[in-house]
Amino acid sequence: MAWTPGEDVVEVVRAPAPGAAGGLYRSFGETLRGLKTTFARIIEGPVTIQYPEEKVPVYPRFRGRHKLHRFEDTGLEKCVGCSLCAAACPADCIRVVAAENTPDNRVSAGERYAAVYEINLSRCIFCGYCEVACPFDAITMGHEYELSDYSRTDLIFTKEMLLAEPLERTPLRKEGE
Amino acid sequence: MMARPEPKSITFTIDGLEVEAPENAMLVDAAKLGDIEIPVFCYEPKLGNPVGACRMCLVEIEGIPKLQTGCSTPVKDGMVVHTQSERVRTAQQAVVEFLLINHPLDCPVCDKGGECPLQDITFGWGAGSSRFIEPKRHFVKPLELSPLIAIDRERCILCYRCVRFSQEIAEDYQLVLLERGAHSYVSTFDAHPYVAPFSGNIIELCPVGALTSRPYRFRARPWDIEGAGSVCTFCPSQCNVTLTVRDERVLRVLARDHAEVDDGWLCDKGRFAYQSIHVDERITEPLVRDGGELRAVPWERALQEAASALARARGKVAALAGGQSTNEEAFLLARLMREGLGSERIDTLAGVAPAKQHQLARPDLQAKVSDLEFADTVLVLGSEPVDDMPIVDLRIRKGVRRRRVKLALATSRPSSLDRNARLALRYSPGCEGAFLRALALALAGEDCQTPAQAAGAEGEQVRQLAELLRSGGSDVVILYGERMLAQGSAVEGLLRLASMLELSGRDGAGMLAVPAAGANGRGLLEAGFAPGYGPGLQPRPTASDQIDLTAAQLGAHAMAGGLSSGELSAVYLLHADPLESALPRAQWSHALAQASTVIAHASFLTEGVRDHATVVFPAQSYAEKEGTLVHPDGRLQRLRPAIGKQGQTRAEWSVICELAKRCGLDLGVLTGPMASKQLFEAVPFYAALTLEEIGGRGVRWQERDAAAGFPEPPPLEAEEPPAALPSPNGALRLGSFRSIWAATEVRVSPALQFLHPTQRVEMAPADAERLGLAHGETVRVSANDSSVTATVTLRDSTPAGSVFLEEGLGAHSANALAGAMVEVRKA
Ligand code: SF4
Ligand code: SF4
Ligand code: SF4
Ligand code: SF4
Ligand code: FES
Repeated sequence: MAWTPGEDVVEVVRAPAPGAAGGLYRSFGETLRGLKTTFARIIEGPVTIQYPEEKVPVYPRFRGRHKLHRFEDTGLEKCVGCSLCAAACPADCIRVVAAENTPDNRVSAGERYAAVYEINLSRCIFCGYCEVACPFDAITMGHEYELSDYSRTDLIFTKEMLLAEPLERTPLRKEGE
Repeated sequence: MMARPEPKSITFTIDGLEVEAPENAMLVDAAKLGDIEIPVFCYEPKLGNPVGACRMCLVEIEGIPKLQTGCSTPVKDGMVVHTQSERVRTAQQAVVEFLLINHPLDCPVCDKGGECPLQDITFGWGAGSSRFIEPKRHFVKPLELSPLIAIDRERCILCYRCVRFSQEIAEDYQLVLLERGAHSYVSTFDAHPYVAPFSGNIIELCPVGALTSRPYRFRARPWDIEGAGSVCTFCPSQCNVTLTVRDERVLRVLARDHAEVDDGWLCDKGRFAYQSIHVDERITEPLVRDGGELRAVPWERALQEAASALARARGKVAALAGGQSTNEEAFLLARLMREGLGSERIDTLAGVAPAKQHQLARPDLQAKVSDLEFADTVLVLGSEPVDDMPIVDLRIRKGVRRRRVKLALATSRPSSLDRNARLALRYSPGCEGAFLRALALALAGEDCQTPAQAAGAEGEQVRQLAELLRSGGSDVVILYGERMLAQGSAVEGLLRLASMLELSGRDGAGMLAVPAAGANGRGLLEAGFAPGYGPGLQPRPTASDQIDLTAAQLGAHAMAGGLSSGELSAVYLLHADPLESALPRAQWSHALAQASTVIAHASFLTEGVRDHATVVFPAQSYAEKEGTLVHPDGRLQRLRPAIGKQGQTRAEWSVICELAKRCGLDLGVLTGPMASKQLFEAVPFYAALTLEEIGGRGVRWQERDAAAGFPEPPPLEAEEPPAALPSPNGALRLGSFRSIWAATEVRVSPALQFLHPTQRVEMAPADAERLGLAHGETVRVSANDSSVTATVTLRDSTPAGSVFLEEGLGAHSANALAGAMVEVRKA
């Protein structure tokens, strides 16, 4: 039995046909309008950046690869291995294994320190929650964004890598730039 | 007398909500029934009556002008309670602010962070800011309260929980609060380390990070870990536990409250010996003896060696199972031995004939663990609960303290429960049979003087005990050490006692065994791992062509003889090392040396395995296994894998099945649950049981319909009358015991090592004086050409004429002595 749509029928609304003059304008007028933009850019000169020789400066609050910090005076690590960053991380990419400081082996200022601190940067979404969660400002987001590597395991950054100064500094955008 | 009165139900109003609750329940508990949470710190029902120390639980009750503590106010019918009013909120915020005045708030370094009630309550009920800017009180921290527990006094909120545990639950009376006011602090009163069998429980009790576990210190945060429910297999208490797992390692053991099993406590062995799962000593690959030495080999080679040796020894092979074996492992190994290798010679390390155990395993005589708490009278017979079944010790103390249970002790060795008992009676070691005979006479109102003396007990005390049992109320629970069944006529005596006290079929009364075979002793018997008994305690057909030996000739003692004489050539040890057990050491040493093949499932190279095993399969720990266990009161409990297999370990059931296949027997088991299913089908009184039914809480088979399938024990065979006391003639009677710490798991766990005992000989001061010995002196204890070295320990309450030595300590164990009379001399 054929189905009668009844009240469900919806009319298709079509634009009016353009007509001869309208059709002519569509074919040439609109094209010329587009070309205006193209030619206007030509005189501005090239904007291509010669990466990697040349790098885009980043804003100061840019969230790049993380850094772990030490106290400047004592050289002790600021991180006490409390795992709060790991708790905050939505990508679940931080792993902290804490251990106890002993008089012979004092690593951090508190009772405990991070014996293992790893961030899996291939999972990190650079949200910065870890930085916000840290009660000691021990981890901050740096400016490095050149993180590609040949294997995934190389993207697991260890504590030593995060404590070290980056090999190359990323240029910072200056005021008004 | 109703043992456990049902409270009547009342209705009260809380925050405008009508809630039904049992009368006299504390308000905080009653509020939960209406889904209302009242914050608490010091309230913990497990600790007994509330003390109202922290004031966190303040609520407003209409008709009472001042705020009341919800933890110590029982609900009454028609009560109207407010927990959300302005007054209550101000009070709660004030209490939180007050508790935080001296609190260091070092959450980032605090081990409690993330699972801290103080954090949660501050977040939920605190004001959010503090007005206190003065310097805080300081203590030296962190300190060792004991090698197992770290204390941080700054974090303590003085809730008294730990002190109450020590004073009222474990009754070791070591922890106290010293000083006054803000300067109060928790300590042992002479500042000695707090070392006690149950000390670890205070870590779990402390609502803040003041008491933390040293082995778990800084290992993980709550969001790093997973909890896995299982059952502790280190002793017959089979406490329910939650294993804390991080990265496939067990890092901590917590109690998983079960009122019918552990009452929410754990002993320190159960709490800390998990470390033995991850130590280097653990065997994690198959070993084969090659040129006199055990060498790691691939599984295939080990299986091949074992299978061919077993096939060669067909009919001349025996098997021993230790208490940590699951029912399934024991069941399958019994099948392999009987069906595949034609041998009936299997036994546990108990040294007790299964026919005797059968007599007492009757469901109508069975008491539950909780009966110990609600009974009228509890009689502990021939056992030291704190060593043999530690958690039961706490249960007995609870009954005595809170329900006025009348406790009677009849043991040969002085007990730590002596102080709690109405009557503590001593008899000579090994005289249980004679003692029970005297007790029966006394119960019948006859003169028991002479028989009592024959047991080395005082007639008057036996009479008093009979009086207590008869007139103390009808619910009597007898906790007996199964090892006494090896004594002549002890079974008969226990059965007579049960019938005179009319324990049969009475709810809330009965008998509870402390299994001699170890943690799963009862399960091994029920799964058919017993000489002459098949699954479900069904006697093996003696007429079969395979056996014409009696149970005694099949048992462990005859096994040693058989191996020594060459009648048996191979022995299969399932989690069992006879040299670490209470079996006679010299015999077994010789037997293992004579055996041409010794196949062992073991986790550690204990003496017997190290020196004699030819093939060693790495055994799984309880955290890796699946299977079932049977609690001494008949509760089937499930072990569940918490971590992946360590190293190359393989499940024991699969190894046994593989060996069976190579010996030409298909056991038809491909997975762990299939093994359980086979077992449940083979045991009539487990009929239709499933793993789902056992679940996380276990199920007592006596409470299921299938319990009717329990085979009636055969009539009691007349036993030889109890041996007369040998005349002392200057020598001392030897009794033995096994301390809670005399275990391989304790020895290899770094945190517990310090508790592993060395041999000491406990003796009465009078005997020591007679022999010119002083406390702490090193002596040689000798009997019939065998001797051990020990340190003299004087114990006032040791009966003169008896000495006690420890078992499970290798060459210096009590069972290294060949004889019941010993001489003690200066070394
Ligand atoms: S930036 Fe975000 S995703 Fe990356 S580690 Fe920190 S919390 Fe995790
Ligand atoms: S006890 Fe709780 S509130 Fe106190 S420092 Fe530890 S985690 Fe923080
Ligand atoms: S140490 Fe913990 S349990 Fe003991 S009183 Fe202090 S806060 Fe309470
Ligand atoms: S009492 Fe026994 S079962 Fe319970 S925790 Fe201790 S060793 Fe384990
Ligand atoms: S919980 Fe009520 S006073 Fe502490």
